Amino acid sequence: MEDDNDLIDVRRVLAGDLGGFEGIVHRWQAPLINLAYRFVRDRGRAEEMAQEAFLQVFKQLPRFRAESAFSSWLFSVSLNVYRSALRRHGLPTVPLDVIAGAASRDRPAPLVLEDSEREELVRRSVVSLPPKYRDALTVFYFREMDLAETARILEIPEGTAKAWLHRGRKLLRRKLGSLASDSPAALEAPA
Amino acid sequence: MIPDDLDRILASEEPLLPSSGFAALVMEQVRETAAPLPPIPFPWRRFLLALAAVSVLAAISGWGIANAMLGRTLAPLQDSHLSRALGGSIASLLGTFLLVRLTLGFTGARR
Repeated sequence: MEDDNDLIDVRRVLAGDLGGFEGIVHRWQAPLINLAYRFVRDRGRAEEMAQEAFLQVFKQLPRFRAESAFSSWLFSVSLNVYRSALRRHGLPTVPLDVIAGAASRDRPAPLVLEDSEREELVRRSVVSLPPKYRDALTVFYFREMDLAETARILEIPEGTAKAWLHRGRKLLRRKLGSLASDSPAALEAPA
Repeated sequence: MIPDDLDRILASEEPLLPSSGFAALVMEQVRETAAPLPPIPFPWRRFLLALAAVSVLAAISGWGIANAMLGRTLAPLQDSHLSRALGGSIASLLGTFLLVRLTLGFTGARR
């Protein structure tokens, strides 16, 4: 149903009616801002990136071929915009070292960190992964763990997406190490 | 960290709501992008200046040609002053032509 509305609006825009794009913006503003936020962990920056993404979507609309869902194409275009923005302006500051420093001086990190802090630490750690793993993990969890959709958005085969996710999770667990673990046993949990 | 824990944390994130006016701002930018560029105005001033310069040159040349045709046709060519002037003009033209060719060749070679 949503995709039908999108296709109707796309046709309107391509016919010269800008009002059609307003519908697209209203339907997709929250998802695009939230996806950008997962990369930068900063609301203001996320909104700026989402604006840029919408402009790119508008410019590239004549190239949309409706071979896949509009949402996949929209996220794919946006992801490219976000990648460029991250390359241009750099990654957000990840307070991993600060927390690690505090933890090592006094007591183990799990006792220092609240649940919410620990969760934020995990999310920020994803951002500091190498780009392909960062993108795979971010898109996968953002799109409700749909592997096929993740592969479509990343424009890679499903097998590659699966491998990147596996490797990304492994790197993430290694990166987090004892900082985000609940118990020593949890550290040894298999992939 | 157990895999389920990682999945839970990464999959569950409090969604952000767009700021009020976000959509309006995007649409404003979209409209700016979509608006056709204003036509480039014709450079009348430059055109008129160039036209005036060409007219002056044409008048001078015409006057020179008319003078030459009114006088004796071959005799002036034998006049040493005129011959020198003509030689100088031809040399200047050739020099200019060579300079232009050299400049074009130089810039072309650098591209």
